[in-house]
Amino acid sequence: MQWNENGDSPAPGVDAIRVQDLCKTYHVPEREGGMGEAVRSFFRRRYRDVVAVQKVNFCIRSGEIVGFLGPNGAGKTTTLKMLSGLLHPTSGKVEVLGFTPWERKNEFLRAITLVMGQRSRLSWDIPAADSFLLHQAIYRLSDEEYKQTLKELDDLLDLSPIMRKPVRNLSLGERMKCELAAGLLHRPKVLFLDEPTIGLDITAQARIRAFLQEYNRRTGATILLTSHYMADVTALSERIIMIHQGELKYDGSITDLSRRIAPYKIICVTLEDGQVMDLSRYGDPAQPANGEWGENGGCKNLIQVTANRVAEVTARLLAELPVQDLNIEDPPIESVIERAFAE
Amino acid sequence: MLNIYRRLWQTNWAEQWQYRANLLMYLLYWLVSPVVYLAVWTTVANAQGSVQGYTASDFVTYYLLLLMVDQLNADITIHLLAYKIQDGTLSGELLKPIHPILTNTLVNNLAFKALTLMVMIPVWLLLCLLFRPDFGTVTLPNLLLGIPAIILGFGINFLFGAAITCLAFWTTRVYAISEFYYALTVLFAGQLVPLDLMPPLVQQIAAYLPFQILRFFPIQLILGRLTGGEILVNFLLGVFWLLVALGLFQLVWKQGVKRFSAVGA
Amino acid sequence: MNVLKLLYAYLRMNVQMALAYRTDTAVNILLNLMWLGWELFSLSIIFNNTDTLVGWGPGELIALLGVFRLVNALMASLIWPNTERFNTSIRDGSFDYVLLQPANSMLLVSINRMVVWRIWDLVLAGGLIAAGVRISQTTGVESLAGFLVLAASGLVVIYSLWIVMIALTFWFIKFDNNVTILQALLEAGRYPVMVYPAWLRLIVTFVIPIALATTVPLQGLRGELTTGNTLVFLAAGALSLLIASQVWRAGLKRYAGASS
Repeated sequence: MQWNENGDSPAPGVDAIRVQDLCKTYHVPEREGGMGEAVRSFFRRRYRDVVAVQKVNFCIRSGEIVGFLGPNGAGKTTTLKMLSGLLHPTSGKVEVLGFTPWERKNEFLRAITLVMGQRSRLSWDIPAADSFLLHQAIYRLSDEEYKQTLKELDDLLDLSPIMRKPVRNLSLGERMKCELAAGLLHRPKVLFLDEPTIGLDITAQARIRAFLQEYNRRTGATILLTSHYMADVTALSERIIMIHQGELKYDGSITDLSRRIAPYKIICVTLEDGQVMDLSRYGDPAQPANGEWGENGGCKNLIQVTANRVAEVTARLLAELPVQDLNIEDPPIESVIERAFAE
Repeated sequence: MLNIYRRLWQTNWAEQWQYRANLLMYLLYWLVSPVVYLAVWTTVANAQGSVQGYTASDFVTYYLLLLMVDQLNADITIHLLAYKIQDGTLSGELLKPIHPILTNTLVNNLAFKALTLMVMIPVWLLLCLLFRPDFGTVTLPNLLLGIPAIILGFGINFLFGAAITCLAFWTTRVYAISEFYYALTVLFAGQLVPLDLMPPLVQQIAAYLPFQILRFFPIQLILGRLTGGEILVNFLLGVFWLLVALGLFQLVWKQGVKRFSAVGA
Repeated sequence: MNVLKLLYAYLRMNVQMALAYRTDTAVNILLNLMWLGWELFSLSIIFNNTDTLVGWGPGELIALLGVFRLVNALMASLIWPNTERFNTSIRDGSFDYVLLQPANSMLLVSINRMVVWRIWDLVLAGGLIAAGVRISQTTGVESLAGFLVLAASGLVVIYSLWIVMIALTFWFIKFDNNVTILQALLEAGRYPVMVYPAWLRLIVTFVIPIALATTVPLQGLRGELTTGNTLVFLAAGALSLLIASQVWRAGLKRYAGASS
């Protein structure tokens, strides 16, 4: 499968997405509760400005996979909506594949896709296969193009067993596969994925990640994805863009970020007889990440220590305590990110 | 027991108040059909003087009174209850030690009625100003007698409505059945066309059916068009049908609840 | 043409959805026939008591019933289900998916859902119109042509009105109930508007122009309209569609948070 041989995708190295000084301020009507206020607001509305995105700048090359991180309300979804043309920015410039998204030209819409993990585009009562046919008509895909793309997606996502069942009978993971397939039938060159793995179990998440990697490899499509799950981002992309309170906080590789923000390591100490001890004189207490950590579901004695002191602290621990096992690990990405946001 | 009703009233009233926006739409629906038919018949009556004894003014009076009686008798049980049976929410109410239909649904109906009347009475008065009905034949005794007649009509409507809604325990097509019931009202109750103007065969059948107790009977009673004997006969007929409706409802309800609990919510 | 392909695709999808509920369709058709029976019956009661209604005979009223049913079918098959779908999609955000598709959003919103069995209603309406025309012994191909063209224009007016009504949701989210005005006032379309008192006549001609879709085509059939009149009504239809699409576009801009 060589999709970019027909010269559709911009060659690697060219910018697929260019964002310049992007700003979005929402004009939100403000109202307190109560009858009097309701009447008053009928005559004169009070407005509040909510800055959702503030002077964001970045460029994404054709074929890149970029993770877009940030806490809720940071401005990720707003930015994605502006990139896909659903929202007009207050100011700034955006260019996706040479188009201005909010002009919503048909050629632009045919070249991109937006898949929102929390909102379904498929019709609930009919099998996904029928929604696909509808998609074919809307995107004006020829029968050959459509059949071929569907077959390829079927190979990658294993759609055959689930395509003919009504969507409401599918599990969340199966439905997400169909949503992704529906979003890719028209072979878009740019994929915007808003929390594509939300609510899925671990295996389903892994499968989606594997699919996206393979898809990117085969087609050279540019992928911008937002997620709450660090595993999504670490598995798929080396580059992350971090957004917090509407501002771009970081744009670069994850490893660089780790190194910059948290030059420390986590030491997990397992003592004889499973003892729990206060190790505060060796280092700061550390929190384990959610289940990503420790062999038997978690380490009881965790401390964090700056990288340059690891050797020294380890030696002391081994000498002074009845250590049965000792592990030295990098801090979980979540805490790295958290610290980055805290700055 | 009275306490229960009072509490139910409070909650239901508060609930209905939340949905007051829909009220305007309901108002519009209530209004349009009678006004349309009124216009048609008054046009005909004006063109030829009268239609089978009804002058234009008679039609105006009939339809305006119909608007009121219609609202006072109306039963919205199907909209209150059908979905609860279909999606299982009814189980919550079955756990309570009171009969859900005869308490909650009934009071819900009444609260809705009270709310709609609040809005409708001024509109109705406006319509009276616009159309100038002649209520000259209405006497106080007839008006007073009209009250039990309307209550009787509501009782019949409510129990039949509830019985039909209970068919939801067995089938999903309750709304269709309810629509069919409404069609019978149209045919036999003088809902859209005064019963007097219907073919004699229809009138004969209607004389035995409960539907005319819902509309035609109270209207004619209040307008003073019935003899004492006719009033009595109709009241007796009404009571008979009320008992039938009650029996039918009890039957359907008991069987329905049994099935509901067996099948599981 | 692509619009036709889209129409076909959506029709197929809705047929499949309908097939999942086959018996409902049968029941609906039966109820529909029942109401038709009543409508014809009530017309017969009227004409038992008079020869004409504001000068219109039974044939013309049957044709009017046919046109009324045509408009009602439009409401029931397209307008109601799509209003519901549209309101839901605005509320839960899935309307975004409509905007992401490379097709006219106004068209997509109009054909997303179709109540397929109502095609039967169209056939019935056609039958009524044909029967009514026969009975009324209307003269002239001109009148007939004028009638058909005005009926189509009237449907366009109703459609445009609907678009404007749902577009209002872009500005006032709470107004998602306003289409019911259309359905309620539609009842007035059953009879020639000359029957109504002046104030009601004004409302159904100028405010919610049901009359344009029901009485006016029949006036064309009766030969009461000059060519000039007919052209004016046709222009009104075209103009309404233009206005509707502009309002829709403005609404989309608002939805997308454009400050202009």
